[in-house]
Amino acid sequence: MTGLLEIREKVKFLYSRYEIFILPVIKFLLAFLVLNTLNGRMGYMTRLDNIAIVLIVALMCSFLPTGCIILFATLFSLLHMYALSMEVALVGLCVYLVMFLLFFRFAPKDSLVVVLTPLLFAMKIPYVVPLVVGLTCSPVSIVSVGCGICVHFLFQTVIDNAPAVKTLEDSDIVGKIRLIIDGIVGNKSMMVMIAAFAIAILVVYLIRRMSVGYAWTIAMVSGAMTNIVVLLVGDLIYDINVSVGGVLLGSILGLAVAKVVELFRFCVDYNRTEKVQFEDDEYYYYVKAIPKMTVAVSTKTVKKINAQSQHARTGTPASRDAASPARQTGQHRPVNVTTERTPGGRKSSAGSRTSGRARSVTVGNTARHRNTDGQTKEQEDLF
Amino acid sequence: MLNEERIILMTHMASYEEGEGRKNVKIGNYFRSDYVAVQVLKAIISGTIAFGVVFALYIFYDFEVFMQDLYEIDLIAFAKKVLFYYAVTVAGYGVLTYVVSTYRYVRAKKSLKCYYQNLKKLASLYSGQDV
Repeated sequence: MTGLLEIREKVKFLYSRYEIFILPVIKFLLAFLVLNTLNGRMGYMTRLDNIAIVLIVALMCSFLPTGCIILFATLFSLLHMYALSMEVALVGLCVYLVMFLLFFRFAPKDSLVVVLTPLLFAMKIPYVVPLVVGLTCSPVSIVSVGCGICVHFLFQTVIDNAPAVKTLEDSDIVGKIRLIIDGIVGNKSMMVMIAAFAIAILVVYLIRRMSVGYAWTIAMVSGAMTNIVVLLVGDLIYDINVSVGGVLLGSILGLAVAKVVELFRFCVDYNRTEKVQFEDDEYYYYVKAIPKMTVAVSTKTVKKINAQSQHARTGTPASRDAASPARQTGQHRPVNVTTERTPGGRKSSAGSRTSGRARSVTVGNTARHRNTDGQTKEQEDLF
Repeated sequence: MLNEERIILMTHMASYEEGEGRKNVKIGNYFRSDYVAVQVLKAIISGTIAFGVVFALYIFYDFEVFMQDLYEIDLIAFAKKVLFYYAVTVAGYGVLTYVVSTYRYVRAKKSLKCYYQNLKKLASLYSGQDV
C-alpha cells in the first residue's frame, strides 16, 4: 500500500508541476481516440477518414475547451451519416438537437461523460462508466450518461442499417427515416442499458456518501452487482441477448478502475478512525474523523558545496565544510556533489527546510522564499 | 510583511472566483423569482423547439399515411391532440426546470454567502493589520 501511495503522490506531483503540458496532451489523445474510433466504426465519408485531418482536429481540441471535443465528434458523425444518406443525417441531427435542448442543459459540465460513454462502449468496457460516474459525479450525471448511451445506440443503429440504407432507392426518403427511427425507438437494449446504468449510478452515489466504513468499496461492489442484476433481469424480460460473461468481466474491470479512482480521490485509513463527542450551548456533536492516508515522498536533493577552490585561494572561506579542507591542503579540489534522500512534506519546499533562517509562504504551486539578507527568489514548490 | 492566513484566504477566494464562483456570482445577481423565471422561459423555448423536431420526425415517419388521411381526419381534433401533447411536454419540462433552477439558486446563494463571509474576514484581517 505504501508503494501505491508513493506512486499516487508522485503522479500528483508530476501533474501539478506539468499540468500546463499534461492537460493539452490528454485532450489531444482523447480527441484523437474519439475521432479515430468514429472514423473506424463509421467511415462513410472517405475524405474525412484521413489521419491528417484527425490529427489537425485533435490538435485544435487540445487547446480549445473540452466541450469542443463533443462539437467536433458530433460534426464528424453527422458528416459520416450525411455521406451514407442525407435522411440518416437528418435523423441524427434531430436526435442531437433534442438531447442538447432537453437534457444537456441540466448537466453542461459533464461533456466528458457524453464523449467517454460511447467511446467505452466501442472499446467493449462500458461497465466502467456507472461505477466511476457514481463515485466522482452527482446523480445529475445520469442525464449525461443516458445521452452517451443514446449516442452509442444511434451509431450502432446507423452501422447496422447501413447496408439496408444503401440498397434503398434515393427517392425512398421515408423508408430510410423509418429504418433509423425504428432502430432507435424500438431498441430495448438501449432502454435496459440506460435503466441499469442509472440505477447503478444512484446506488453507488448513495452508498458512497453514507457514514459507514469502507463506504466507497461497498458502493462500487454494490453498484457493479446492481448493474449486473438489472441487465440480467432486462435480458430475461426483453430478451436482449446480454452476454453474461462479458457483463461479469466488464464489471470486474470496472471495479479495478474504480479502485484506482478511489486511490486518488478517497484514500482513507479506517483503522485510525476517531470518534469524538462534545457539546456547546445549542448542540451535541458526534463526530467521526477518518484520517487520510498520506505518505511523504522521498525526493532527491542535490546539495552543492561549491566555489571552495577560489575562496581557498583568496583565503575567504565560503563555508565551514568546504573551506577547511581546502585551506589544509592548499590544492585545487573538484566541486563536491552529494545526493541525499529527504522526506517531503505537502506544503513546505525542500529549499525552505534546508535553510533554517529562511521564511517561506506557499501560495498555489509557488513558494516565495525570502532570506534574512533581503534577497528574494521565486522557487517552485516541490509538493 | 506577508500574512500567511491572509494569503491562504485570498488563494481560496481567487480559486473560487475563477471556477464555480463565476457562475454563482452571475446567479446571485438575480432575484430568485427572476432567475427561475428566465430559466423556465428558456425551458419553454427549448421544449417547444424539441417538440417541433420530434413532431416533424413523427410526421415524416408516417408521411404517406398522414398525407392520405389528411383530408379524412378531423383536423381540429388532431390539432387539439397535438396541442395537448405539446402542453404536457412543455409543462412537465417547465416544472422540472423550475425545481432544478430553484435548487441551483439556493445552492449558489449559500455558496456566495460563504464567499462574502470570507471577504469580510479578509477585510478584518487588513483592518487589523492597519491598527
